[in-house]
Amino acid sequence: MFLLSFLRVIKFSLQDIARNIWLSIITIIIITLALFSVNLLLTVKVLTSATVGAVKDKIDVSLYLKSEAPENLILALKSQIENIDSVAKVDYISKQAAIESFREKHKNDPEILQALLELGKNPLSPGLIIKPKDINNYDDLIVSLNKIDNDIIESRNFDDHKAILAKINNIADKASEAGLFISSLFVLITILVVYNAVRVAIFTHKREIGIMKLVGASTWFIRAPYLISGVIYALLGVVVAIIIIYPFLSLIQPYLASFFSGLKVNILDYYNSNFLLIFGLEFLAASLVNVLASLVAVGKYSKV
Amino acid sequence: MIKLSNITKIYPPDITALHKVNLHIKPGEFVSVVGQSGTGKTTLVKLLISEEKADDGKIVIGGWDITAIGQAEISVLRRQIGVVFQDFKLLYKKTLFENVAFALQVCGEPQRKINNIVPQVLKIVGLENKMHRYPLQISGGEQQRAVIARALVHRPKILLADEPTGNLDSINADEIIEILQKINKFGTTVVLVTHNREVVNKLRKRVITIENGLVVGDQAVGKYVL
Repeated sequence: MFLLSFLRVIKFSLQDIARNIWLSIITIIIITLALFSVNLLLTVKVLTSATVGAVKDKIDVSLYLKSEAPENLILALKSQIENIDSVAKVDYISKQAAIESFREKHKNDPEILQALLELGKNPLSPGLIIKPKDINNYDDLIVSLNKIDNDIIESRNFDDHKAILAKINNIADKASEAGLFISSLFVLITILVVYNAVRVAIFTHKREIGIMKLVGASTWFIRAPYLISGVIYALLGVVVAIIIIYPFLSLIQPYLASFFSGLKVNILDYYNSNFLLIFGLEFLAASLVNVLASLVAVGKYSKV
Repeated sequence: MIKLSNITKIYPPDITALHKVNLHIKPGEFVSVVGQSGTGKTTLVKLLISEEKADDGKIVIGGWDITAIGQAEISVLRRQIGVVFQDFKLLYKKTLFENVAFALQVCGEPQRKINNIVPQVLKIVGLENKMHRYPLQISGGEQQRAVIARALVHRPKILLADEPTGNLDSINADEIIEILQKINKFGTTVVLVTHNREVVNKLRKRVITIENGLVVGDQAVGKYVL
């Protein structure tokens, strides 16, 4: 009996979508547009986080060592620093590696290369490049580095980094706060638009709902097809949004790659690896809003 | 079958639609409830299908006190009473077959039974060749016949017809009354609410007259006397 009613309810729901095809198309378009906007916002958020993350990733601490420091002491210091909790990675740049890197960097500047030749010897010091584990624990890292007492260390001035880091953190926090505010506002507007679209769709069925009630249909029997229609609208809305968003992302990806050159920004990869999470959540949220709108609207019109 | 005891219905602020109405309709009767517009006839129908609640008194249908039934029981009550409305109340997005079948589907009847019964009922009202048409593709008289088919399909013991000829010409009106009489002959209690004098006088059945919310006449073989 329950299965029979359930199958009937699904049939009524599909029949209703097909026989009110224009209304169904408009409702699906509204849901699609809302989801497309949400995905645009998500794209902006991903790009912001990727940019801030990449900038943070570029922050490291350089420890300059004495020119004549023996390699075995340098490697011992390297290993000592690696054991500090807040350190993610330590790279040793030997005198030779430093000069090669310098030459590579200035390969198009003959004057600098000529000056280097005239010096006749390698003027650069060896160094250790230290990457912090968490950029927010930068202060702890500096304290730990300052505690190291080793004669081969030539300089350890970290103050400039602290100022830059403070600025980056400040920008990142503000971007995150603004993003959260705009996202919340946007999601709220989207919910209201979708909620209203479903309510308008059901309003056109006001007369039918009243008749069904007078013929003896239970509230559940009237309500269920609209709930199922709401879920189907959400599903179709998500599918259409996917069909639109992927070509759109493919279109903008080359521009993003060239704009953020040097940073690992691939929005298509992000969508591919989080496909189920993104579109699954969007489907659930759209279904929830549709179901809620259907419950309220049908409840209002079925009081006969 | 239907028993109303001291039924009073007042619409806010102070419009008395029915005042202390007492009625007893026996099983198998054909009763016409007559009166001018606004006298409380439709309120009586609404009370019988629990679309409205009485402010005072008691309504018993087939031994079931429906005076204060809950929402879930209202659906059950309506599945046991056939109702024919003046404005047809057909579902425009469903075919005539689907409209009639809907009354059985809400009761959870199996599809095989529905496929078997619905064409038979549509044949009784002369719509067997139009069962796959939509309501807006047929005439008013045919729509009303479809409504009767829907009201009959679950074999109710009571059929309430609220101004069923109100929107029809005299030929179609006569056809509808003929169908109602046929249904009554099969044993269904028919309550016909109307202000059509000609129809009532032709019937020569019991007539209950309502005026200003009061029952002012009840004749076993009556005429429209207002």
